[in-house]
Amino acid sequence: MKYSIPKFWRRKEGYYQIILTKCRECGKVAFFTYVRCPYCGSSNVELVKSCGRGVVEEFTISYNRVEEGEEYLPKIIAIVRLNEGVRVVGELVDIDLSEVKEGVEVEAVLRRFSSDDPHGLIYYGLKFAPVIKGA
Amino acid sequence: MFRVLCVPRPESLTGIVGWGVYIPRQRVKADEIASLWGFEKTLPKALWIEEKAVASVDEDTVTMGWYAAKVAIERGNVDPELIGAVFVGTESKPYAVKPSATIIADALGISKKKLSTDMEFACRAGGEGIRLAIALVASGTIKYGLAIGSDTAQASPGDVLELTASSGAAAYLIGPAEESVAQFEGVVTYVTDTPDFWRREGSKYPTHGEIFTGEPAYFHHIMSAVKMLFDELGLAPSDFDYAVFHQPNGKFPLQVGKKLGFPKEKILPGIVTPWIGNTYNGSALIGLAKVLEQAKPGDRILVATFGSGAGSDAFSIVVRDGIGERVGRGPKVEDLLKRKKYVSYAQYAKSRRLYIRNIG
Repeated sequence: MKYSIPKFWRRKEGYYQIILTKCRECGKVAFFTYVRCPYCGSSNVELVKSCGRGVVEEFTISYNRVEEGEEYLPKIIAIVRLNEGVRVVGELVDIDLSEVKEGVEVEAVLRRFSSDDPHGLIYYGLKFAPVIKGA
Repeated sequence: MFRVLCVPRPESLTGIVGWGVYIPRQRVKADEIASLWGFEKTLPKALWIEEKAVASVDEDTVTMGWYAAKVAIERGNVDPELIGAVFVGTESKPYAVKPSATIIADALGISKKKLSTDMEFACRAGGEGIRLAIALVASGTIKYGLAIGSDTAQASPGDVLELTASSGAAAYLIGPAEESVAQFEGVVTYVTDTPDFWRREGSKYPTHGEIFTGEPAYFHHIMSAVKMLFDELGLAPSDFDYAVFHQPNGKFPLQVGKKLGFPKEKILPGIVTPWIGNTYNGSALIGLAKVLEQAKPGDRILVATFGSGAGSDAFSIVVRDGIGERVGRGPKVEDLLKRKKYVSYAQYAKSRRLYIRNIG
């Protein structure tokens, strides 16, 4: 799959880190970045980095074949409730389907999500993996 | 010439503030590889290799180095904006031209005002990264430096190297000695032009000199570096509580330690290769992490890296107060050794792209 290189470059902070919008008025947190709080409408907001940890709430498995992305299949796609309280969608890795269940503690990990093989860019971004015991 | 003995060695101004390790979850049994390619059944045991870690299809030097560095920064509890250098030692760069270090640094939110480069010296570039970080911190050029050793080691299918070549990473955050939990006491490096192992431009897999990789390469360079360190510091094996050597297999570190006069009881705590394989630039550095996670304040650790081509860095490190608390700030090597899922050779081949697909 060919991505727009400038578009990826402009958005890379959002691929590399989970950025949240925190409202200084109502105190609520939202994913992704907003200039106004989506809850109270205040413009008194700040962008904060998520700690990257949360729990699995829902999940499904995808066999959707994308050109040149076959080697990444199948994928487990989950809704993760972050410790900050917001829900995000992401791919689950390092876990078998039989092990996935609601409440599994996960953390964001940097992984390849695509690459323009054999000569193009490699695209990195965050996925979720079970928290390594002891962490 | 008179040697001025009262001047402290510059490396003693620095120490390890944080460290982190990453070992992929997948493992393939060495017996399966040996059986598939018709090696003698006794070979894995002779090399002391039981299984090796296999990076997933979405993992590479960047992703593993990122995780190890993330844990190192968290252990050190250091603001990433204060890190002034990022060095990635690897011989498996995802890009031949485009630094891995900048991807890792940006993804971790590290300051843009920094030195940042990928380094290549076979398996010891990570060790050289630590030496550079020590020099920069000791000179006052930077406050903290991050040195990463990360590899998805290549081995031609059917080569004896395939029994051990594996994937993993370690990262060390180097900073002022007073903030560290392990202080550098002395560091030396010994390098020569020795053709024991190489990979030509455009070659997918490395070539090696079979048994030539032993005596004139691994053993000569590690022993020379360690003896130089002993001479400079006036120390002997009996002064050390632990000895960690580069681990191309489980057998070599025990042999080189014995030649240097270390009992195996001081070497075994840092051994990891029999259960994860040779992680190349991660090898000795993961072993050091395992030792740090069981050491006590006052313990003295010898670490000797090795990289083909060839060279070795020897470090003397003294553990300081606070080590126990810092160990608990992240996953330990033992946790990562226990986290595993066995895969078949076919799954390993898919994960490491040992096949040819019609794409592009």
